[in-house]
Amino acid sequence: MKVSVHGLEFVYPSGVKALDGVDLEVESGSRLGIVGQNGAGKTTLVRHLNGIFQPTVGTVRIGDWETKGRDIADLAARVGYVFQNPDEQLFARTVAGDVSFGPRNLGVPPERIDELVNLSLERVGLAGEGQTHPYHLSLSERKRVALASVLAMNTPIVVLDEPTTGQDARGVAMIERIVRQLNEEGRTVIAITHDMDFCAENFDRVVVMAQGRILADGEPADVFANGEALDEARVEPPQLARLATALGWTGTVLNVETFVNRLRDSERSR
Amino acid sequence: MIELAGVTYTYPDTERAVLHGLDLSITEGIVFGIVGASGVGKSTLAKVISGFIPHSEGGELEGAVTVAGIDVAKATLLDVVSKVGLVTQNPFNQITGARFSVEEEIAFGLENLGIPRDEMIERVGAVIARFGIQELRDRSPFALSGGQQQLVAIASIVVMEPAILVMDEPTSQLDPSGTRLVFDIIDRVAEQGTTVVLLEHKLELLREHAQVVAVLAEGRIVLSGAPREVLADDRLDQWGVGSTRFTSAARAAISAELASADSAIPVSLKEAVSYFSGGRR
Amino acid sequence: MTTLYLDRPSPIHRLNPVTKLVGLLAVVLVVFALPQWWASVAILVLVMVPAAVVSGVGGRLLLVTLILAGPLLLVLIIAQGFFYPGRETILFALGALQFSLEGLLLAVGVGTRTAVLVAASVLLLLTTHPGALMTALTERGMPAKVSYVVSSTLQIIPAFRTRAESILLAQRSRGLRTRGNIVRRVRVLLPLVTPLVLGVFVDVEERSTAMEARAFGSTRSRVSYAVIPDSRGQQFSRWALILLALAVVVLSFTGVLR
Repeated sequence: MKVSVHGLEFVYPSGVKALDGVDLEVESGSRLGIVGQNGAGKTTLVRHLNGIFQPTVGTVRIGDWETKGRDIADLAARVGYVFQNPDEQLFARTVAGDVSFGPRNLGVPPERIDELVNLSLERVGLAGEGQTHPYHLSLSERKRVALASVLAMNTPIVVLDEPTTGQDARGVAMIERIVRQLNEEGRTVIAITHDMDFCAENFDRVVVMAQGRILADGEPADVFANGEALDEARVEPPQLARLATALGWTGTVLNVETFVNRLRDSERSR
Repeated sequence: MIELAGVTYTYPDTERAVLHGLDLSITEGIVFGIVGASGVGKSTLAKVISGFIPHSEGGELEGAVTVAGIDVAKATLLDVVSKVGLVTQNPFNQITGARFSVEEEIAFGLENLGIPRDEMIERVGAVIARFGIQELRDRSPFALSGGQQQLVAIASIVVMEPAILVMDEPTSQLDPSGTRLVFDIIDRVAEQGTTVVLLEHKLELLREHAQVVAVLAEGRIVLSGAPREVLADDRLDQWGVGSTRFTSAARAAISAELASADSAIPVSLKEAVSYFSGGRR
Repeated sequence: MTTLYLDRPSPIHRLNPVTKLVGLLAVVLVVFALPQWWASVAILVLVMVPAAVVSGVGGRLLLVTLILAGPLLLVLIIAQGFFYPGRETILFALGALQFSLEGLLLAVGVGTRTAVLVAASVLLLLTTHPGALMTALTERGMPAKVSYVVSSTLQIIPAFRTRAESILLAQRSRGLRTRGNIVRRVRVLLPLVTPLVLGVFVDVEERSTAMEARAFGSTRSRVSYAVIPDSRGQQFSRWALILLALAVVVLSFTGVLR
């Protein structure tokens, strides 16, 4: 499902202007990574997608729906939002109870819920933990339960707020796998992240934000080669991109496979 | 400076020991990095080194823990706290609520230590400047964003100038520039003689800033040594620890026979540049 | 923060918190020592009103005092006016009920006494930052733990509310509907309670670790970082106020002021 943002401005009740004219078109089924400093407006922007915020100026469209005047609970059928802090969300006595909360609210028939819950738990590597009390799990496991509870809602659009923060290598690998699966299922994935390597390797579109505006918007290869925008946003290019630059290569490199191919090519040309 | 010998610890009301016969030795004045998978006991280890285990958490602790010459099990928590500062993962819960402004919140620890006022004012001012949080001085500590709270929480411990600073994922809420700031501060205090024990996932930064890196797995320290060697070790994957892309690229190049397995595998950008631009064959 | 405090550049704001506490104490003593109905009114007019004007928070003071003491005054006037046994002078009658002057005066006396107590307490809170009050008291020997309970409670409550809002947001983002009738609204709040309550327990535990990490509970002599200004003049005034209040009490009890 497509996401369209036009001329979006947002001013907090305190008077702080968090978004200063944002235009963004996210194609259905694409994977968008949003990077930038804390305070750049990333979270404010994505919270417009499920109706948590309403535009001060401008429009936000989720598919054919304009978000204006729509209830968050309505938009939840189209946009699944995984918050950063799982402890603000987990409330049931069992993991399964929590994961089923979303689907139940969305009107999934009871017969289908168990299956949906088990499937979601499997996807996050918590199969069999259905009857565990969420607070008996570690923080990173609770983050996975929160993720599962949104996956179970089967929304066409999934928003991930810093999914890899605090995750170890296996946790990051799991998130990468899920992003890939969601993409294969044709869902639109939008993630806020500080991890440039994760961003470069798993997303086909990157947006760099600073001070409520978009400084760069395009394919990772182009965006991460845009030194000016990255400097202004005070973010560093991903590790392999920096290596390619330091080695004097033209163009940029976003993953290990590409790096090896470029290495092979440069070997051959000797 | 820090010696752990045969440390085994089980949390109260649980059966499985989180730490198993753990040995660890940390010399004074260095930045000592500890990596490991989530849930493997890093936070537990942080609390053991800082005395909160056993004094605050209870449970069963066996083995010897000696920190700055103090036998932790025999000393009181306050004795240990005056030597070891602990920064935990969740910044929201490190804001004490005892004071109404960020400035006073940072000074709180110094008040408790009985530091004279002139010195308090100087130290607090210096720390606020170093952390770049001047505009937050008069704000309520609870009205800050997660990243701001994390900076305030770290500042509140750094200002106490402990001999040992134990930091459990201190950059989790911070953006790239906030992360760089904290690592710079870590360098600075280590230069001044503080021993820093840093539990982190950010390997590239650990390579740059730590003098020794250890791997925690299976309840013990399974590997310890120079960052370059430890972070390029090929057993890291089985221990649930990742590697930098520079390391992965080198390994992939070796598999594709585009690089020699004889040169040391790079961990940092500089090492990777060296590795790939010349000394490969 | 949950507090009445309003920051204004007034002389009363600048007074040392203990001076204001002593002032409040003096008012309490005097008001209870003098039972005459006009005593409280005199204090209200001669002490409270000028103080309210000088402090720059008169508007808020009036509002809060009216809200807290107004209904009581009204009830008293009705109850005592119509039912005071010592009635002699009847002002008017409503059917069988007779409204007496004595009753009215008694009600005014008790009502204004309450109003003065409320106004004096609220004025203290309006002009004194809780942090300053706690520091001033701790400097004079109040246990640090008491100070901590007060400051942490005042700050946790709004933080609690912010968290409750975040939790509600997370649940609504999973399709929870919050509009509708009362029954539905109550049912809706249930998914909110658990994370909120559990969060409090986890917080308390972790925050006590944070307190220990800051050496709270150390027996070393504490110097406070914040400076609460005081002066000889204020010190003198505090003693003078106490002596004056005690003098009124004594004179009143020995019958001199009746």
